[in-house]
Amino acid sequence: MLNSLSNEILPKGKKSIFKNQWFFLLLAEVVLAIITGVINSRFFTLSNLTNILEQIAVLGILASGMTALIISGEIDISVGANVGLVTCVIAMMIKNDISYLWVVIIAILLSSFNSFLVGASSIAFKAPSFIVSLGFLSIFRGTAYAITKGVFQTIYGKFEALGLTRIGGLLPLGFLIGIIIYFAIHFILKYTRLGRHIYAVGSNSTAAYLSGISVVKTKLYAFLLNGFLIGIASMILLSRIGAAQPTTGTGMELKAIGAVVIGGTPLSGGKGNIFGTFLGVLLMGMISNTLNMLRVNPYFQEVVFGLFIVAALAVSAFSSYKGTFKKKLLKS
Amino acid sequence: MKNSKTIVELKDIVKIYGEHVVLKKVSFELKEGEIHCLIGENGAGKSTLIKILSGAVSPDSGEIYISGKLIKNMTPRLAVKLGISTVYQDTELVDSLTVAENIFLGEEKTKNSGFLVDRNHQNEQSRNILEALGIEISPDTLVGELSTAQKQMVQIAKALHRNAKVIIFDEPTSSLGLEETKNLMNLVRNLKEKGIGIIYISHYLSEIFELGDRVTILKDGENMGTYEVKAVDISTITNKMVGRDTSLFFKKRKVNIGEEQVEIKNLSKEGIIHDVSFSVRKGEIFGIGGLVGSGRTELVSMIFGIMKPDKGEVRIKGKKLKINSPIDAIRNGICFVPEDRKKYAMLLGRNVVENSTIIYHEIQQNNLLNLKQELNLCSSMVKRLSVAVSNRDQLIEELSGGNQQKVILGRWLFDEDAILYIFDEPTKGVDIGAREQIYELMTELAEKGKSIIMVSSDMPELISMSDRIGVMRNGRMIEILENKNIKEEELIKLFIGV
Repeated sequence: MLNSLSNEILPKGKKSIFKNQWFFLLLAEVVLAIITGVINSRFFTLSNLTNILEQIAVLGILASGMTALIISGEIDISVGANVGLVTCVIAMMIKNDISYLWVVIIAILLSSFNSFLVGASSIAFKAPSFIVSLGFLSIFRGTAYAITKGVFQTIYGKFEALGLTRIGGLLPLGFLIGIIIYFAIHFILKYTRLGRHIYAVGSNSTAAYLSGISVVKTKLYAFLLNGFLIGIASMILLSRIGAAQPTTGTGMELKAIGAVVIGGTPLSGGKGNIFGTFLGVLLMGMISNTLNMLRVNPYFQEVVFGLFIVAALAVSAFSSYKGTFKKKLLKS
Repeated sequence: MKNSKTIVELKDIVKIYGEHVVLKKVSFELKEGEIHCLIGENGAGKSTLIKILSGAVSPDSGEIYISGKLIKNMTPRLAVKLGISTVYQDTELVDSLTVAENIFLGEEKTKNSGFLVDRNHQNEQSRNILEALGIEISPDTLVGELSTAQKQMVQIAKALHRNAKVIIFDEPTSSLGLEETKNLMNLVRNLKEKGIGIIYISHYLSEIFELGDRVTILKDGENMGTYEVKAVDISTITNKMVGRDTSLFFKKRKVNIGEEQVEIKNLSKEGIIHDVSFSVRKGEIFGIGGLVGSGRTELVSMIFGIMKPDKGEVRIKGKKLKINSPIDAIRNGICFVPEDRKKYAMLLGRNVVENSTIIYHEIQQNNLLNLKQELNLCSSMVKRLSVAVSNRDQLIEELSGGNQQKVILGRWLFDEDAILYIFDEPTKGVDIGAREQIYELMTELAEKGKSIIMVSSDMPELISMSDRIGVMRNGRMIEILENKNIKEEELIKLFIGV
């Protein structure tokens, strides 16, 4: 009964750019770049800038999968351990001269399977994915120790193309892959039914179910997508550093979650976008680079990352708190 | 009793939620040793009044006097201190603690050290209280092992332990059997003899006549009168509960009604719905009325595939449907607008466009979305239902209640082949203007030959919109009435069962 198309199309909303989290992120990045550049002129050299891009490729890919997963209302903190297990397995394969085709296939199948296990268990046992993935963190890490017997797996100059190629001598291949993935995820989230399902399920899973959406399928897809990207990130990481051990990837999930949150995607799900995550990842990469340039003790880097995540949470909590605070004031 | 002191006095209590006035200058009085019954339809304001007295909700204006003293800023803590206790239907006890621990919760008796709980002392005192009430429950039983009736008794014991002067019973017998109800009523009489003032809320008029000293009737947030129970009869009470001005009724256009197209046959679910059958014709609005808890929402959730029936079938145009989940219902042309839109329908944090086209995409099943077409559809829906929305990025929670409801209804209008529309409380929390537009929309759907099932607690809505009304009571559809000059008074009698 609504087939007659109206000529009046709803206009776009006018939102002040000052209300956008990405505006502040971009601002913070520019300010950070200028300050670092003034203190250490080496910051603005081409080699340093490409260095930053190369360094953020892996984190960036992990954060993109995490974005979709968090929007769907789930989380996975076994990502770092998953990376550890996958890099160990494929490093051993490469050492034994198994063809790269198989390496790629196994990397992706294994990481996806791991991630699927986390999601499926969380759904089947009706347990929060945070807790379930905490368990799997241990399983993945332990399996990596068991198969490597704790031994460092180096791959002597093999499998280097993915991590070390620079297109035109400048643009790191890993970063380019990352950018392509960002466009792909943006496309999925915005232009496909699956993307809509991810937002709907994260926003209100009961309403989504009553609208005919399969909540279980949607969440599993989000886990699978995350797993697929973990596989790609693991290959780039191994290719870049040339060795794997069971502790490879430790703490990466926290950095990825941090970048997602800094990028404006709330942990409660149903909101957020991939562009914010990109800026969040960039900020993290720049901070890390800056701290190196300023010769800050690496132990303090961890502290600074933590502070940034807390600050980002505080900003988003404060902006929602302001609303309720105002209401309370009006009432009294 | 006539000479006894007044313990509670509420004066001109007003409570407003948004644009909705829930209590309009309600006054209420309770004396020592009195059983004062409170009665009214769903949404008449009984619960709000009680929540104000027990400090859970603060009134917008009006005064609360306890034992003659004006109490400003009543809080739940202060209410307990002043001796006001409430016995809820869903008990507020901790299942994993014992009876005695629950009775002493928050004011544990400690040994000399001031640190360790004195279990023996607590158990002994609890036993004394329970025995004095004639309740046979051991104080060291876990509350989780008790029946609903027993839990209520523990709540009463807890109230007495806190030296309650006023005990409020909110629908205490709605989930009790016959024997349990009798025991509870004896207990209530026992409390009255101890000089405790009792506020007793119940839909069952028989209990009121058996127990009550006085009865106060609420309707749409107004006190319709307080009567001595001895000096009042059933029809006076039921007439006061309803009987609204005819201006409140919507004048629905006449719609031609065609052949039967939806059939519900022997739908049953153990303990919830018993053997419900009815049919809905083309262009017909089938209203379902009844008290809260009579099984109305459960009935329609079964038709929509949210809950699986033990037995029975749903037929559309003669074809038996296999419905295991909402998507099956949707594919078979069934639409469902739930009662609590915030909980069951709104995608919070998402914009109006996404919220209005969610069903459309599930019916079309295109994996790639056409955003331009989507925007067109949403825009035409906004225009058609005159939704007050300024731009496409506006989030659904930023709209008023009426406009939210229009967007939720609008979701279901993109499917030309839909056959059955189920509306559960379609105008709850909706302003008058939007309400009439929703009625108009329902009428248009009927004119297009759709069948409509409308669950409603709003008596004028039920009477003005329905072609027939099915009355639900205790999970059964006890009667199906042709809507020919049905009076509110008749309906309320059927709902309550007098």
